[in-house]
Amino acid sequence: MFLLKCQVLSNEQLLPRTYLMWLEAPQVASSVRPGQFAMLRCHDDLVRVLRRPLSIHAVDGDRVAFLYRAIGAGTRWLANRRRGDEIDMLGPLGNGFSITGRSRRLLLLAGGIGLAPLKFLAESAASQGHQVVLLVGTRNTAEQYPIDLLPSHGHVVKITEDGSAGKKGLVTDFISEFAPEVDQAFACGPEGMYRELMRVRGSMQSVPVQVSLEVRMGCGIGACLSCTIRTNSGLKHVCKDGPVFDLDDIDWGAAPVCRI
Amino acid sequence: MDLRVQLAPKNRLGLTLGNPVMVASGTFGYGMEYAGVIDVQRLGAIVCKGTTLKPRPGNAEPRVAETASGMLNAIGLENPGVDALIRDIAPVWAEWRVPVIVNIAGESIDEYREVASRLDGVDGISGIEVNISCPNIEKGSVEFGTSPDLAAEVTEAVRNASSLPLMVKLTPNVTDIGVVAKAVVRAGADALTVCNTLRGMAVDIVRRRPVLGNICGGLSGPAIKPVALYLVYAVSKAVDVPIVGCGGISSATDAIEFIMAGASAVQVGTATFLDPRACLNILVGIEDFMARENILTLSEIVGQARA
Ligand SMILES: Cc1cc2nc3c(=O)[nH]c(=O)nc-3n(C[C@H](O)[C@H](O)[C@H](O)COP(=O)(O)OP(=O)(O)OC[C@H]3O[C@@H](n4cnc5c(N)ncnc54)[C@H](O)[C@@H]3O)c2cc1C
Ligand SMILES: Cc1cc2nc3c(=O)[nH]c(=O)nc-3n(C[C@H](O)[C@H](O)[C@H](O)COP(=O)(O)O)c2cc1C
Repeated sequence: MFLLKCQVLSNEQLLPRTYLMWLEAPQVASSVRPGQFAMLRCHDDLVRVLRRPLSIHAVDGDRVAFLYRAIGAGTRWLANRRRGDEIDMLGPLGNGFSITGRSRRLLLLAGGIGLAPLKFLAESAASQGHQVVLLVGTRNTAEQYPIDLLPSHGHVVKITEDGSAGKKGLVTDFISEFAPEVDQAFACGPEGMYRELMRVRGSMQSVPVQVSLEVRMGCGIGACLSCTIRTNSGLKHVCKDGPVFDLDDIDWGAAPVCRI
Repeated sequence: MDLRVQLAPKNRLGLTLGNPVMVASGTFGYGMEYAGVIDVQRLGAIVCKGTTLKPRPGNAEPRVAETASGMLNAIGLENPGVDALIRDIAPVWAEWRVPVIVNIAGESIDEYREVASRLDGVDGISGIEVNISCPNIEKGSVEFGTSPDLAAEVTEAVRNASSLPLMVKLTPNVTDIGVVAKAVVRAGADALTVCNTLRGMAVDIVRRRPVLGNICGGLSGPAIKPVALYLVYAVSKAVDVPIVGCGGISSATDAIEFIMAGASAVQVGTATFLDPRACLNILVGIEDFMARENILTLSEIVGQARA
């Protein structure tokens, strides 16, 4: 875990409301695992007292990338950073995804901005010789991530809710088509997507599924106990024990788990 | 230059800090969490998360909400309980140079008494800080800290249950903090922490619901600094025990303001989330200020702004 000031190398709008930012961060780049995140300070003064958690989206040499939606004051501030500016980063944090020894074929399910950590996972898994199928679900074609930036050696399936590109529907509609063929699945998206996965769990046979959770965080390192969730193995802290959990381990109960 | 602070001059064990910069309860876990980011041994003291008799799961999410220059929290005292703390965590502290103070909480006088008596004599624990901003379940859920009598009763119970140096952490949510301060000092407090969070809330106008799962929470951060600073001043006029200033301290200047208003030491809380190095930067900033102003011992400037 490092606390660093990092130079912005580039920061461009890639998709509607969505930015791709590359930072120079050698220590993080050389130690981060897919599914881990960083806490970024999103201003220069004391107006916003909390850092913002963002998943590591890609690593290239000494550089790390974030893919983020500008949805509020903090992420809008980030979107205004320019090449040469400095960003204060604490990371890498959290557990990350884990590919078990015997898994060869992996299914990755991205809902919207949930693609952020999955691109890194897809690239690193493919480079280790795993077979990767990546389902990229968005509302429409305008939100689809540029295909040339996705791993070339995996199989990418575009899915849009309005059918304006690729298959029409939600990522979870295509589970029964792909799940029987794979050894492990990984998902990142809104809570509704995970609940749908639980509902169709039967059609996925016993394929283990890991999901990345989003809840409000204070510290990012397990000190403030803001991001507690219930699991079948007791209370867990998303920032330290997660953000990646086994789908079946989470106590989905009636109330929302990722209340933000 | 002498930065040492004695927080319990009348206690047999005493509570000597190497410097006046502590970290506040609930913002620094049990000290291990930040050990990979900063050298926690350089701190004046660490105050751990609020500890209760039995394990507590805490409140519904969301538990935090950012506000202008501050944040609301309603963690709900999630903690593993005093026995797990003694068994699993205190042995680690026993190896540390930095003193660790255990913050305790309860829903009844008996619970406070029991927690305090179990902590007595445990290796690795240098003192107790009593959080009296907790609802008294037996008496209509009124906060102990808002009644001078109840606050004194808790203090006395803890005093009799443990010989450890005893700090009592006052709530700002009262009309006259001086009255409460006097009551707990009479009941045996060695030092006072001033202060805990201010009660507040935030509403999500899209969902038309409170942001926090618990509806209301405690406000902390730079937004509360002027309030906490004044309370330190008011308490230091009312009583004659060491005061630990707490509330929005983010810089060495903030810390020195609290010291000049009457605090012998300070606690850094919310500032750590934004900058995990804030506490150590504050320490260095205090040293620089003392060097620049030819101050040899910190106690020279304690309360100097009080006139
Ligand atoms: C582990 C993790 C990884 C994430 N990775 C990404 C990513 O790669 N790309 C991306 O676009 N977003 C990601 N998010 C969500 C991102 O953290 C929020 O969008 C961001 O914090 C919003 O900040 P803001 O100031 O723009 O919004 P505001 O609404 O102004 O923020 C107010 C407060 O609420 C918190 N908050 C608001 N929305 C969220 C949310 N969805 N999750 C957690 N906290 C929230 C903020 O951190 C802040 O403390 C991730 C969240 C988590 C927990
Ligand atoms: C997330 C969080 C958890 C806290 N938990 C406790 C606690 O368990 N016991 C306690 O006495 N104070 C607790 N506090 C209050 C702080 O110790 C401190 O008094 C308060 O935050 C004001 O200081 P600050 O503005 O520097 O944060 C907590 C504060 C925060 C932000």
